[in-house]
Amino acid sequence: MEGLFFNVNNGYIEGIVRGYRNSLLNGQHYSNLTQCETIDDVKLQLAPAYGDFLGALPPNPSTSALAGKMTDKLVAEFRYLLAQATGSTARFLQFLTYGYMIDNIALLITGTLHERDTRELLQRCHPLGWFETLPVLCVATNIEELYNSVLVETPLAGYFKSSLNHQDLDELNIEIVRNTLYKNYLEDFYRFVTTDPDFKGTPTQEVMAEILEFEADRRAINITLNSFGTELSKQERRKLYPEFGKLYPEGSLMLSRADDIEAVALAVSVSSDYKAFFDAVGLTQGGGGLGGMGGSSDGKSLEDLFYQKEMDMSKIVFTRQFTPAVVYAWMRLKEQEIRNVTWISECIAQNQKERIGNFISVF
Amino acid sequence: MSGAVGREAVFPTRQSLGLMKSKLKGAEIGHSLLKRKSEALTKRFREITRRIDEAKQKMGRVMQIAAFSLAEVSYAVGGEIGYQVQESAKQARFRVRAKQENVSGVFLPHFESYTEDSINDFGLTGLGKGGQQVQRCRETYARAVETLVELASLQTAFVILDEVIKVVNRRVNAIEHVIIPRTENTIKYINSELDELDREEFYRLKKVSNKKQEDTAAADREIQAAREREAEKQLTSGKEKEAKEKETPDVPDVLGEQEDTDVIF
Repeated sequence: MEGLFFNVNNGYIEGIVRGYRNSLLNGQHYSNLTQCETIDDVKLQLAPAYGDFLGALPPNPSTSALAGKMTDKLVAEFRYLLAQATGSTARFLQFLTYGYMIDNIALLITGTLHERDTRELLQRCHPLGWFETLPVLCVATNIEELYNSVLVETPLAGYFKSSLNHQDLDELNIEIVRNTLYKNYLEDFYRFVTTDPDFKGTPTQEVMAEILEFEADRRAINITLNSFGTELSKQERRKLYPEFGKLYPEGSLMLSRADDIEAVALAVSVSSDYKAFFDAVGLTQGGGGLGGMGGSSDGKSLEDLFYQKEMDMSKIVFTRQFTPAVVYAWMRLKEQEIRNVTWISECIAQNQKERIGNFISVF
Repeated sequence: MSGAVGREAVFPTRQSLGLMKSKLKGAEIGHSLLKRKSEALTKRFREITRRIDEAKQKMGRVMQIAAFSLAEVSYAVGGEIGYQVQESAKQARFRVRAKQENVSGVFLPHFESYTEDSINDFGLTGLGKGGQQVQRCRETYARAVETLVELASLQTAFVILDEVIKVVNRRVNAIEHVIIPRTENTIKYINSELDELDREEFYRLKKVSNKKQEDTAAADREIQAAREREAEKQLTSGKEKEAKEKETPDVPDVLGEQEDTDVIF
């Protein structure tokens, strides 16, 4: 039923995204890339997929410049999609940009707190998180002004309002602010895809709910693991967990009480997927400790497994039709691709070929 | 070499000879002391050179690992964290203490690194994702900086020691090749001058004694003549005059002695 009128408004976008998907690098490309000796070779290998975007790069560019150009392509393609979208699809696409906006705002707040020239900060902002009132943030010179007059104008105002006031901005660690915003964003996004009349009961709800739940769980687990040994209290930590997902509420509660990795492993054992991840990286044995977390020589780290899972989910999204969720999936895949290429070129640049295969290729 | 150094401008007297002799002795003691110092420093210097070599190779490895762990971070976080870390770091966690080490009178700075574990400014960076990588990267870089600090203290010691060894060696060489030969030359000169004076003196003394002998001989002859004449007269004059003539030979002897002392001094 949902497919009946979908293509009237959104067929073009979906078609375009499926086209974009075909230009993603596949295993063959990656194996070619890993054979490269110099960054120039990498550039050459990427030429079919990225074409003129890499043309402007000087010979032997830095890896960050390369990644920057690749991101430019992603941004350009996404902007095109956004311009084509209407109605709730447009809103959906805007939701995708909020994550970047949070990063940008966190950057600007950090800059304002330290009284930096905010204009130069704008250069560092992620282009996808750009919104019209972003430069206005530069006007604010102190944090109260920033909060009262500027942040309320941004699309993220709602996320601030519900959980943060301007004193918090001053006192809390910016990472906590960022993660609070992100939590609110995820919850809002989840609410949007599950309750919006256009998406309710469509494949979009089904697919996106699953992805967002995974994202929420991943964040909760990561925050817990990363907060060990920091000054983040359990109370504060709990506030950062998104209030949905497979782990919510029992798992989240257990996570919030976790003191060590074993407790986390126990908390996530309600979901077989996450349990499998923890088993795979050997965190349940207790011997691994934090040292084994970052991925020992052969094995993948927990983060790698999460990325892998995210990519698999994104790949599966393309089997569904009549949903803007493919845009989300495509963006995630594209970002992973940029990370992969950065990793490969970094390995080449630093002559550390032995770990060059440590990327995630899904096609 | 020793011919070119000349001698010091001193009067060739016995006093300055004594002075020179003590100077020579001092120079020799100083020379051996400085030589020993220079050897100690050179030994230290060689050791430091070896350790610098080790530290540099270690630095190469550590920096490579560190750079790679940064790549890992950028992979895991999927973006730039540099700015955020830069802004949230307010206090130094990794600190350096400077100490002084005394190597045979040379003060070498020695840097000692330590971490202030209570300061953890960007401990929450990458809370959402990549936090472990960030922490690991920080540890790797802390190790890299440790190596750099070690290298820095070695390099500083290297430069200072190099300078000091140069100065000490210059002093050793100066004492060995300039001061000692010059002092020896001066002593030789003073000795030869003194010998010369001695010879002159001897010659003069000989002359004087010759002259005195001549004088005495002439006086003797005169006395003889006078005695002869006197003997003739004695026959005519009385015994009182005879007594007077007995005293007269004493007078020239006394004069002669006085003349001698005058000549010597």
